[in-house]
Amino acid sequence: MSKQAIFHPGALEERDGVLVQMGNQCVGCGRTSYPAVELCPFCSSEQLKKVPLSATGKLFSFCVTRVPVGPYKPPIIGGYIDLHEGTRVFGQIHARVEDVKTGMKLKRETGVIWTEKDGTEVLGYFYVPCGGEQ
Amino acid sequence: MRNSVYVLGIGQTIFGRHDSLTVNDLGATAVLAAVKDAQIAPKALEVGYCGTINSPPTPAQSILHRIGVDRIPMYTVENACASGSSAVHLLHENIALGACEIGIAFGVESLSAFNRKFGKGLLVIEGDLQGKLALTMPSFFAMICNRLMEERGATIEDICYPSVKNHRAGLTNPFSQYKKAVTVEEIMASPMIADPITVLQCCPQSDGAAAIVLCSEAFFKKHNRKGHRAPVRIAGSVISVSGAEDASFDPLALKAMIDGAREACEMASVDAAKDINVVEMHDAFSGEELAAYEMLGLCRPGEGIALARSGAVELGGRCPVNPSGGLLSMGHPLGASGVRVVNDVVRQLWGEAGANQVEGAKVGMAQMLGGVLTGVESPVVAGIQILTR
Repeated sequence: MSKQAIFHPGALEERDGVLVQMGNQCVGCGRTSYPAVELCPFCSSEQLKKVPLSATGKLFSFCVTRVPVGPYKPPIIGGYIDLHEGTRVFGQIHARVEDVKTGMKLKRETGVIWTEKDGTEVLGYFYVPCGGEQ
Repeated sequence: MRNSVYVLGIGQTIFGRHDSLTVNDLGATAVLAAVKDAQIAPKALEVGYCGTINSPPTPAQSILHRIGVDRIPMYTVENACASGSSAVHLLHENIALGACEIGIAFGVESLSAFNRKFGKGLLVIEGDLQGKLALTMPSFFAMICNRLMEERGATIEDICYPSVKNHRAGLTNPFSQYKKAVTVEEIMASPMIADPITVLQCCPQSDGAAAIVLCSEAFFKKHNRKGHRAPVRIAGSVISVSGAEDASFDPLALKAMIDGAREACEMASVDAAKDINVVEMHDAFSGEELAAYEMLGLCRPGEGIALARSGAVELGGRCPVNPSGGLLSMGHPLGASGVRVVNDVVRQLWGEAGANQVEGAKVGMAQMLGGVLTGVESPVVAGIQILTR
């Protein structure tokens, strides 16, 4: 089996055999931030609770990049996804360009997002359409 | 109590591809030009600030030593595309608060050197989560363009308008990197980068440097040898930084830019919508300029497209924006641009902008914006200066 790595430290954690995005929910102001950092980025509170982010959200806005970026080949669809807890997450959208619309409902999936030259599979998250507008 | 801060001299290289020149070569040309324009001895300088993003260490010292300036405090400041604005701001603060009488702020960048080191292509912020997922500057601003079309009723013609206008202005600016007019059809026929942003809606990568000498009122009265020039002051200067981002954030109402512009105008006792005669700003992408009109306060929220369509932001209009040709024509040597926009406003207030002169300009705004980071309202920093005569 080839070597595997998570694309960004702390961005994903394994829970019951699956990878999930873990954010920090602030006990002080109630907001959930992602990725988790030292203190609440909104109110500086130290009282933080690690929580899994919602697996679905609504596409706030997106862009289609037509040139290669790092390991990715165009077209690269990227977008900001708003989760019901109020967190905005950036991610790539795996779908046909013509099917992506502002306001559509998306579901998070995880998997290999690129492979390093030494064969290491880099694991990350991306979003796929899951039917209709929210 | 803040002291008045005056502009004594400006200088710059022409921005463009200067493959054979180092950051220090470029910087030395600009600082020497500014010192000569100010007609002061280089040794008179009491402090130096250099704005840059990707230069080798200690460019402030390396560059100022070449004109015999030594043994004074020197600093290099990095603040994304507002690096040059930050250098000007820090020098302004030093003089305004009475810490010194005269100093130099400059900005420098060699994208040629950067590309030799890191390879060409779209830049992502190293180590940033969003960067690892391919969020680039054009892709971020493509979302702003999409929002302008969805929320403000902008058309592709509106999105291309600043590029058409600024390329036209570049034709008659002796300092511009590009001297070529473009039509909406040519813009949209150029290669697509991130829908709807095509190559001709993006500023070029450039090498270059710009410098400005600022001084106190007392120093100005004693040493200004250019009596034919109207005294020009930096009457307001703000570096405005954004905060944590959540789903309530609206990229068409960037708080850092709105607050920065408002605070700088308040500092200068200026009403942005009435008093500003000229703006030089960060038009890295055509649609970015279109989105900025309302955030800078040139019109009411939601009326930026109407302002553009009215012709108010062209030469001859109520408030020309980027009469120099902007980053789109002038080029964008990252750290240098924040100083260059201030210099171009100064040129306008001195009446030295030649064919691109805004007749009777008395109040101008220089703006820069930069940085895209995970979890932070992007762009992350705005630099605003208000100049008056």
